Amino acid sequence: MEQEIIFEAKKMRKEFGPTIALNDVDFVLRRGEIRGLIGENGSGKSTIMSIASGMQPATRGEMYFKGQPWKPQSMVEAQRAGISMILQEANTISGVTVAQNIFAGREDEFSSFGVINIRKMNVEADKLLQKFGIARIKASDPIDRLTFEDRKLIELVRGVMDDTEILVVDETTTALSLEGREILYRLIHRMAEEENKAVVFVSHDMDEIMEQCNNLTVLRDGEIRGTLNRGEMDAADAVKTIRYLMVGREIGEKYYREDYDASCGDEVLLELEDITFGKIRNFSLKLHKGEIIGFGGLSGCGMHDIGRIAYGLEKIEGGRVLRNGAEIKTPLQAIESGIGYISKNRDSEALILEGAIGDNIVLPSIPGMERATFISPKQEKKLADAQIERFRIKCQNGRQYVNTLSGGNKQKVSFAKWTAKDSEVIIMDCPTRGVDIGVKQYMYGLIEQMKKEGKAILMISEELSELIGMADKLIIMKDFKVTGEFCRSRDLKQTDIIEYMI
Amino acid sequence: MERKWIKEHVSDLAAFGGLLLCIIFFTITTQLKGESIWSAAKLSALMADVIVTALMSVGAVFIYSLGNMDVSIGKQIGLYSTVLVLVGNKTGSLIPAVVICLVIAVAIGVINGASGEILHMYAVISSVVFSMILSGVSTIIYSNIGSRNIALRGVDTSCFKSPVVMLGVLAAETLIIGYFFNYTKFGKYAKAIGANKTAAEQCGVNIVKYKVIPYVFLACTLVVASLFQMGYTAAASDSTGVGFEMNVMVALILGGMPLNGGMKSKVLCAIIGSFTFALLDIGLPIIGIPTRLTFMVKAVIFLAVVLITCRKKTGILPR
Repeated sequence: MEQEIIFEAKKMRKEFGPTIALNDVDFVLRRGEIRGLIGENGSGKSTIMSIASGMQPATRGEMYFKGQPWKPQSMVEAQRAGISMILQEANTISGVTVAQNIFAGREDEFSSFGVINIRKMNVEADKLLQKFGIARIKASDPIDRLTFEDRKLIELVRGVMDDTEILVVDETTTALSLEGREILYRLIHRMAEEENKAVVFVSHDMDEIMEQCNNLTVLRDGEIRGTLNRGEMDAADAVKTIRYLMVGREIGEKYYREDYDASCGDEVLLELEDITFGKIRNFSLKLHKGEIIGFGGLSGCGMHDIGRIAYGLEKIEGGRVLRNGAEIKTPLQAIESGIGYISKNRDSEALILEGAIGDNIVLPSIPGMERATFISPKQEKKLADAQIERFRIKCQNGRQYVNTLSGGNKQKVSFAKWTAKDSEVIIMDCPTRGVDIGVKQYMYGLIEQMKKEGKAILMISEELSELIGMADKLIIMKDFKVTGEFCRSRDLKQTDIIEYMI
Repeated sequence: MERKWIKEHVSDLAAFGGLLLCIIFFTITTQLKGESIWSAAKLSALMADVIVTALMSVGAVFIYSLGNMDVSIGKQIGLYSTVLVLVGNKTGSLIPAVVICLVIAVAIGVINGASGEILHMYAVISSVVFSMILSGVSTIIYSNIGSRNIALRGVDTSCFKSPVVMLGVLAAETLIIGYFFNYTKFGKYAKAIGANKTAAEQCGVNIVKYKVIPYVFLACTLVVASLFQMGYTAAASDSTGVGFEMNVMVALILGGMPLNGGMKSKVLCAIIGSFTFALLDIGLPIIGIPTRLTFMVKAVIFLAVVLITCRKKTGILPR
């Protein structure tokens, strides 16, 4: 027997200027469902649930929640009524404690005569943290001391209350550590299977969607292209079908590199010599021409620090970063010597959100475009347009602001900055984070092409499959130490590697 | 017209619209009072009123684009005017005085621009310190002179009273600053730092260097503004320049400058804002608003523009 409908959208439409993000979409969600929403960047998958959870209004259309007309004015209103959404980007309040973040907007529950009982708030927060299985984080800890991954978990604790009926998880797992993902998976299964609530899981990770969801809806260009139930998702050609629905064309089987040739040039393009930084001690690395070195491990293992050190972002305590014999101590020196860096923290570090796509793309290339101080706007436009075309960034033109783009398109801009600069060494920290399958495939192709052109790539990723699929050499880190090194091989499996990470 | 386009360009529309509205309003209302705001005398008064604020504001666009502000502007104008008179009287020429002023201005600019970044504090703090120091220097100078005013003797400053010269210098300065702001890395980097310092740094922008350069641009424009400030009366006093930093801020806001800096910053904001500000100054008394009330009217208009253009969830004041 079919379960009761908990949420329904009829002819939902959302327009952003001339762009139609949702085109008269009908969407039904039932109790007990873990519904996956999948689609390319800008397909409208996040938009549906952002409207349902009060983040933005629909242009037109009707919504019903628990049988009643539904038109939330804010996320707070939606959360109080039972729809919570966990967003992709960091959404915690800086400068206060974990407990104050968890109970933000609910301080009245702990105050009498206008004075907040911090002790009581901390006790309640600690109980919640324990309930979610993250008792290692204390309610009184300052939020800024937590890693990005742990702050996402705090958002989860804040977003999910006893009376939450629908939980929307929007691309959150890309920002979570392995431990965080397990916590999230346990939570969504408990909500759907034991408490008869509903979960909407927006993700680009097909494996994750296939594993966790019991129904799957595919969107493309603001329209629903198909919904698969568990049985259909288990079919042999399900992945192929889903990919076709997502992209609208056959995208082929080729995804990662198909060769297993780990050879590279003799020339060392980047060297980290006896580096000491924080808990990292005496770390050395040589990155050769035409080589892809992958770094894997749990978040917080030190691999992200290696990328930042190699780019001159960190003041090291010992050792040297060398490029063409010269020491790299600042990002400027790194860029001038032909090194590019794609930051993991896209919105806060890699992009100027309140800036045009074109301005973002040309920013690192500006010194090379100068002719006696003059920078030609025509040349800037040409450079930016070429990258917009190359990465198929969904936008009206290069003057469009980056903050109007979807997550994946933002990531493309972040990538395009360094391809425009034609950097010889590129440090990629989670390069495909939040990027859809079609773009991922394109980026992997681009990385492979870069290798063939003799470029050297330092690829840091939390996706082991990506590292196994792309790297010539894979370095695994744990607790700021290298615990394993693997050469590219047809036989290399995730299971061989995980024991070195945990 | 699309709503989104209007939303994106609300600052520009409010700024341009405000200036246009002022022009139309004062053209009609002054005619009704039997006067014309476009008479030669009024135009001359308008230029005299606008020139110093406009010259300062054009330079200040650079530092406002960083998301910074300088509250020592007024005190700097006071000091440079005084130096121009003192050295002018001593040497019989303004050229050595201008050179001395430029050296002092650039030194102050370098310290203001660099200290914030090097000492990890808001740049405005350094400018507050300079404001106090310059106030003290002014007090010492005028105490030693034994007067609160000093006049320039033996140097012809009539050219600084000519509306044509004023317009010409303002146009030249706007074109030069506009060029550096829009077509060179100095402006592009300043806007990038104002919009996202971390992203700019990761794109290879030397933050200290490109925070200092905008202050150097401002320093140069302040010396030019001081020439016109002092030249108009051929004198300086211990109150010269008082409150000028606020005039700059008001002019830039009226011109649609985003207070938290970034990529939307424009040099044109300084010109539009300064002329709107001056039109209100000249026009309001003509239409019969008592002088004591003109400040109130300007405050209301200023508040309205701030509410329309600067109210943003992520908005922060310059620092």
